[in-house]
Amino acid sequence: MENLYIPNIAIIIETRKETPDIKTFRLSFKDREFQRKFIFKPGQFIELSVFGYGEAPFSISSSPNQHDYFELTIKRVGNVTSALFKLNNGSAVGVRGPFGNGFPIQELENKNILFIGGGIGLAPLRSLINFVLSGREKYGDLTLMYGARTPKDIVFKEEIETWRKHIDVHLTVDVGDETWKGTVGVVTVLFKEVDVDPKDTIAVMCGPPIMMHFVTKELLKLGFPENQIILSLERLMKCGIGICGHCNIGRKYVCKHGPVFTYKETKDFLESAI
Amino acid sequence: MDEYALLPKKNFDELVKRFTNSFQIYGPTEKDGKFSFDIISDPSELRLDISGVPILPPKKILFPPEEVLFTYEIISNDNVKINDPLDEIKKKKQVFIGIRPCDVQGLILLDKVLMDKTPDPYYVTRRENTIIICITCDNPAEYCFCNFTRSGPLIKKGFDLLLTDIEYAYFVEIGSKTGENIVNSNLDLFQKASKEDLTKRNRKIHEIEEKMSKIRSANLDELYQKITSIFDSSLWDEYGKRCLACGKCNFTCPTCRCFDVYDELDLTLKKGKRTRKWDSCHFLSFTQVAGGEIFRKERTSRVKQRIYDKYCYPVDEFGSIFCVGCGRCIQVCPAEIDVREILKKIIGM
Repeated sequence: MENLYIPNIAIIIETRKETPDIKTFRLSFKDREFQRKFIFKPGQFIELSVFGYGEAPFSISSSPNQHDYFELTIKRVGNVTSALFKLNNGSAVGVRGPFGNGFPIQELENKNILFIGGGIGLAPLRSLINFVLSGREKYGDLTLMYGARTPKDIVFKEEIETWRKHIDVHLTVDVGDETWKGTVGVVTVLFKEVDVDPKDTIAVMCGPPIMMHFVTKELLKLGFPENQIILSLERLMKCGIGICGHCNIGRKYVCKHGPVFTYKETKDFLESAI
Repeated sequence: MDEYALLPKKNFDELVKRFTNSFQIYGPTEKDGKFSFDIISDPSELRLDISGVPILPPKKILFPPEEVLFTYEIISNDNVKINDPLDEIKKKKQVFIGIRPCDVQGLILLDKVLMDKTPDPYYVTRRENTIIICITCDNPAEYCFCNFTRSGPLIKKGFDLLLTDIEYAYFVEIGSKTGENIVNSNLDLFQKASKEDLTKRNRKIHEIEEKMSKIRSANLDELYQKITSIFDSSLWDEYGKRCLACGKCNFTCPTCRCFDVYDELDLTLKKGKRTRKWDSCHFLSFTQVAGGEIFRKERTSRVKQRIYDKYCYPVDEFGSIFCVGCGRCIQVCPAEIDVREILKKIIGM
């Protein structure tokens, strides 16, 4: 019997600073064969161990088309992440997973996609966006709405610029600064700038619960059917395998039934999801 | 093979003794004036006459309150050696003697989560090394309601042997191949059971049911229909106000299995362990994520979580309620919240 609680050792091979408190870590399993066989879907997550400090769940931010490594984009907010930020390249960490269902990539084919991200919520969407871009011809129009607190808090800055070739990108910040010439306001203000047809578009979002609550409201107002609104939810996934109980929302476990749900599905949870 | 056998009472102690060489024996015993399901070194320590259930269910042996998931050694910056404790766990074998039918049903339900869906290797290893000798509970306590949850007084599965006291002997029902082997390898202790013995056993079960009949037996389908329709009812507010969020109901429940996980290093900062520890959905911290967000801030939402995770959500996922009617949560609640009262209100709504 496989012991799903035992992590596999991975090495931090590269670290990039995204914002003052967000870094992207490029990891590769120490066992090369294991790395080669590590297959995941955009939207899935792993449990990362910093030995001596503990374990926490993070979504994978790189595309599954990269086979030599995978990336995690992480905000320093707690015990495990603070310890992680002190590690150098070459350090060993533990990884379990991948867990969760991931985004419904097949259902996105031949559809327009509206990506909506808030803050660090762009991490799982980046995995999906880069996956979609590597098979660009299979999808319709692509639009990104992304909001961050300040211009300094925008993640994947350079990469977003390269996306503009294929994606209609709209950015906003809650609070601007002297360098910022773009939109100011919460992410929903961007609805004024974009032109999407609810009929053939699937909205895929990840961000703080309050953002997802208001974005969903807007999308419903625009006429998006409930099953074309896709949410990636955050909860405390401790075990990742549907046992420890921390991530459950009503009838569902975010770790094993999610973290990706349609809004329509979340309405059947009994307990409210966003 | 016979489904049934008879164990004369004078042979009971000898049967227990025969397990001592190869098994750790657990059973209900008295500890500081209370009853506990614990290690027994001699059959005389067993207390089969207790009313109701021991404070903690035998779950605590298969899924301990604290358990080391693995130990590790940080050898160098890029090298960590992990030691899986499963090989040690595999070596231990145990017998549960005198486990109550409600607690057997508790294990059947835990199996659905910890064995059937995603195997939890620590639980599964211990469970497969455990012999279950259940004894029919003939002295239900005031808080018992296993007749409502269909987990007693008579159970149909989940045991290797089921013993029922029919005065002159224990009537033995054989529930598995392991149970059959126990009888066959101790033929000097067991006798054949007659039709009269079976009739006597069934009459005994009926007598126990009679003792419990004051608790209304309701239709569980009806309960499910009702509970799914009253999630937003004001019924819950009262219990939210009364509940102290102490978590005792979780820690004594035979089907609760939520846990927290934490790492610890020793003083060398090189050797560490990862431990899991029982957790409670009544605690405010239970749903708190690193960014600070708490998804169940209101106590009412946490009271509701527990009730729904017993009588609603598991019906969707496992096809059965996750309550065995042992009444421990009623017995230990400092706010005197009685789940039977909640259930009656729901059904009556």
